[in-house]
Amino acid sequence: MALRARGATWPCDLGNPWLSEFLCAYYWGNIGPRESHGARGDVVALAVVLTVVVALLTILVAGLLRSHADILRALHSLGAGVGDPVTTEAPGPVPIAMSPPLPGERNSISVFDLSGSTPSGDGIALSVAGADQLTLIAFLSSGCTSCAGIWKAMVQTPEELPQNVRLVVATKGPEFESPPEVAARASGASFPVVMSTEAWGDYEVPGAPFFVLVDGRRNRRIGEGIANTFPQVLDLVRRAEREIPDAGKEDATQSRAFALGLDGPERESANDAELIRAGILPGDPSLYPKSHDEVFGVAKFPSPSDGTP
Amino acid sequence: MALSAHGINALLPAGFEGRIFVRQSVGEEISRPVAQFATFPIPQGIGDFGGNTDTNLGPSDIFAVLFEYGPESVGKALFSVEGIPSGLSTKDFLPYIVRPGIGGSLGIQRFFTVSGRPFMFYARLGSLEQQAILVQRVNQLLANVTIEPLSASAATGGAPTTTTTNPTPATTSTTEIPPPPTTTTTTP
Repeated sequence: MALRARGATWPCDLGNPWLSEFLCAYYWGNIGPRESHGARGDVVALAVVLTVVVALLTILVAGLLRSHADILRALHSLGAGVGDPVTTEAPGPVPIAMSPPLPGERNSISVFDLSGSTPSGDGIALSVAGADQLTLIAFLSSGCTSCAGIWKAMVQTPEELPQNVRLVVATKGPEFESPPEVAARASGASFPVVMSTEAWGDYEVPGAPFFVLVDGRRNRRIGEGIANTFPQVLDLVRRAEREIPDAGKEDATQSRAFALGLDGPERESANDAELIRAGILPGDPSLYPKSHDEVFGVAKFPSPSDGTP
Repeated sequence: MALSAHGINALLPAGFEGRIFVRQSVGEEISRPVAQFATFPIPQGIGDFGGNTDTNLGPSDIFAVLFEYGPESVGKALFSVEGIPSGLSTKDFLPYIVRPGIGGSLGIQRFFTVSGRPFMFYARLGSLEQQAILVQRVNQLLANVTIEPLSASAATGGAPTTTTTNPTPATTSTTEIPPPPTTTTTTP
């Protein structure tokens, strides 16, 4: 009403003809002082444009809702459902690997047997755990450039490896590797070739070429790493061999954890389990000592002046 | 550890390794699947029944073979026993059954038919002293072996699976002569 009070012609007389006509038509519609067929057409055009915009926005919102639903469904399948009406338990933390494990996170001592197919399509299963020797598992590919020289050297001069080391080549399975190409690389080889994607997963192989040396007697990995030439592989093996404790010396020179194969993450897990068994749970005050006496229990030890032995 | 190929499936007990293969045919022979199981690293060039190798069985070692014969052997008296051998005892293992080759003190040989496929099971044990334990392990191995019927094409001499090549591409032909019950299926 206040606007109408300014004058019946507002905003039809703003000076700019196009703007005046547009606003006049928009403001007054078909009851304004300057009704015209042109203004009515503009209104219809505007309505059409707005309808299209609303439709596009509707589609956009629907798409976003659909995307949101997909994300919720994925989270639910991972065990972290949000707003799941079925379960009343609070969703716990869900470990999701976003990248290859860091060196400190890798399971670097566990041993797995190898099972898969040969390049000719036969079945093969090799016992690594518990074997009475060292097993060098060479994770190679038929396609990688660095692997080509290693394939060739291993086929031609396998005797350069120490006598107590059994060489085994593991490629990915036939779903990722071409068996004829692997067969061509291994032609003339005196070592078994296992095509097994599972083995790559078990040993957390970051890429080819990669080598793992397993001590079957102790049932643990004693070395692993990358080498681009066969001499580097031999060097890795020799260095790992030197670190193998003699059977008689092992208990005296190595910790119990080492003897049990508890190292790295396994050792941490074992420590946690031991503490929990002793009733020391996370947050226990004894885990946060405030003085050396609390750590070493000095007060409990008799002092020399006590005269006790 | 699961091992499977050519219609033979095995869930290997701890300490065993194995391979299932069909050697490349020579001439007009028809090669059939052979499964080898051992408690030691099986040498690359070893013969079907443990020959052609310098490796010798240790006292606690076992070497076992499942050798398939051709369909013409089905129904013959030698293969009349149905099913994979089971419940073997120490009396079933005899010194004179051990063949030349990989060594061993005691051996066993059994012919049977399973899923319409004629087989021979052959095993040798590393020592007489540990035979009771070793026989148990052989029984454990056999209890985890299953054999599927072959497809029609494989039964008539075609490859049971997609390949009929050597177990290892580099190995020269080391096919041995199996005990000839009816018709041999390997080269003499």
